[in-house]
Amino acid sequence: MSYYDIDAILTDAQKLPCTFELDVPGLGVLEGNPGENIKAGTRIDLPLWLGEMLSIGARLGTSRLVTLDIPSALSERVMNAFKADPRTVDLRSLAPHFYSLSERILELFEEEEMVEILSNTFKKRAAEIADHAHNPQGALGQGADFLRGLDETERQLFRVAHDSAKQTRIWAGETKKK
Amino acid sequence: MAFPLPRGITPPEISFLAEMEMVTVLPRQRLDGLELLGGSLPTLLPPRRTTLPLWLALLLKRQRRANILPPPWLHPESLELILEIETQNDEYQHAFSPPPPLPGQPTLAHRDRDRDRAVAAPVPRYTPDGDKYYPTPPFLPQNVARDHIPPGEPPALPFHWLEVGTMLLDAASDDLVEPDQTRRLLKELREVRTAKIRSGVEVLDAAAVGGGGVALTGVGAMEVGEGRGFIAGVVDGLRRIGASKEQARREELAEEMANGGYDASQDYEDDMEF
Repeated sequence: MSYYDIDAILTDAQKLPCTFELDVPGLGVLEGNPGENIKAGTRIDLPLWLGEMLSIGARLGTSRLVTLDIPSALSERVMNAFKADPRTVDLRSLAPHFYSLSERILELFEEEEMVEILSNTFKKRAAEIADHAHNPQGALGQGADFLRGLDETERQLFRVAHDSAKQTRIWAGETKKK
Repeated sequence: MAFPLPRGITPPEISFLAEMEMVTVLPRQRLDGLELLGGSLPTLLPPRRTTLPLWLALLLKRQRRANILPPPWLHPESLELILEIETQNDEYQHAFSPPPPLPGQPTLAHRDRDRDRAVAAPVPRYTPDGDKYYPTPPFLPQNVARDHIPPGEPPALPFHWLEVGTMLLDAASDDLVEPDQTRRLLKELREVRTAKIRSGVEVLDAAAVGGGGVALTGVGAMEVGEGRGFIAGVVDGLRRIGASKEQARREELAEEMANGGYDASQDYEDDMEF
C-alpha cells in the first residue's frame, strides 16, 4: 500500500461504526451539531482513518476514546451469504473497496473465521472472474450482474486477466489490434 | 500503477525472445559466415544442414534462400501423442505434459524401466574465458531437427513451443508436415493447457499460505506471460486477506520459542520478524 495509492486513500475514507466512551467537549461537529459536546455512548459512523486513530488509546494503556465495531459490510449476515454462495453477493454495493476494507478491519479485530470465509470467497470469485475475462461476450451477456458487483480489487484482476488474454490473441492473429 | 506498460513482458516480447532458439536449416544458396555479437555463424553451403537462430532462419526462408527443417516435436504424430498425454493420462490431469529432459536427467521412460542405471553425465561446455558451464533450457538445442531419436524418449514440448510453432506455421508452412493438421493440433493443445491454468486458480490459496501450489512443470513461455498478471494478483489478494492470520501465527511461534521451545531455527525465525 503506497502513500499515493488512490485506492488506499479511498479505503481510508470508508465509514466505520464507532461508540464514544467519554464525553468530548466541542466535537459535536462530527454528529452534525457544531459547538455542542459529544456524550459518552453516542454511536457515529467515522471514517476509517479517524476511528483507527481515536481507538488507539486502548493500545497505549490509557482509557480509549471510542470503541470500534465491525462495519455492516462485514456483518454476520454478509458472512452467511458468503458461506451460501460467494458468487451471488454484490460486493460493490456493500463497499466499493471491499477487500481493502476487510484487510484493514482484520488488522484491527481478530477474526479467524472471517479470514477463512473471505479467502474462500476471493478464490471462488477469482475463478469466476477468470472465466468472464477470457470470454469475450462476458461483459454483455449473462455475466453482467456478476461483473457489476465486483469490488475495486476484483476489477483490477478482471482487467489484467482480460488484457493479457486479449494481447495474446492479438499476437496469435486471432483478433485485430484496435 | 501509473506506469503505462503492463507488468511482465508482452506477447511480442516473448516471441522476440523465442527467436533466439536454434533451428536447423537446409540452405539453398551459399552464404559466408557472419561474425555476430552473439557468436559467429557458420558458412552456409547448399547441401549441408546448418543450425541457425530462428530469426535468421525465418529471414532466409522469406528470401527463399533456405528451407527450415521442423523440430521433431512439431509433427502431427508427436503433437497427437502429447495431446493424448495431456487429455487422457490420469497422471497429467492437472499438470502439463513433461518438458524435454535436461542433459543428464533421465527421461520418463527410463525412469520407469531402469531406475538404477546411472544416467550419462551431462557434457559441460566452456565459455570463451575457459569457465565450465552446463547449458539450461533457453540455450539447449530443443528445436533442431534430429535424424535419430533415441527410443524411449517421448516427444515433449519445449519452453517456447507456442511461439516457435506459430512462427514456423506463419513463415514456413510449406516446410512442415501437414501444416493444417499441425495448426489444428497446436490450437487444441493450447486450449487444453489454458483450461488447466484456469482450474489451477482453485488451489492457489495453498500457494499463498505456503505448502501447496500449482504444478507448472512444463509450462510454456507464452502461457506464463499470459497468466502472470492474473495469478500474481490472486495470490497477492489472498496474501493480504490472510496477513493478519499469518501475523498471529508468527507471534504465536515467537512466543513459543521465547518460552523455551526448540531453538534450532531461532536464527531463521529472527530473520523473518519484521
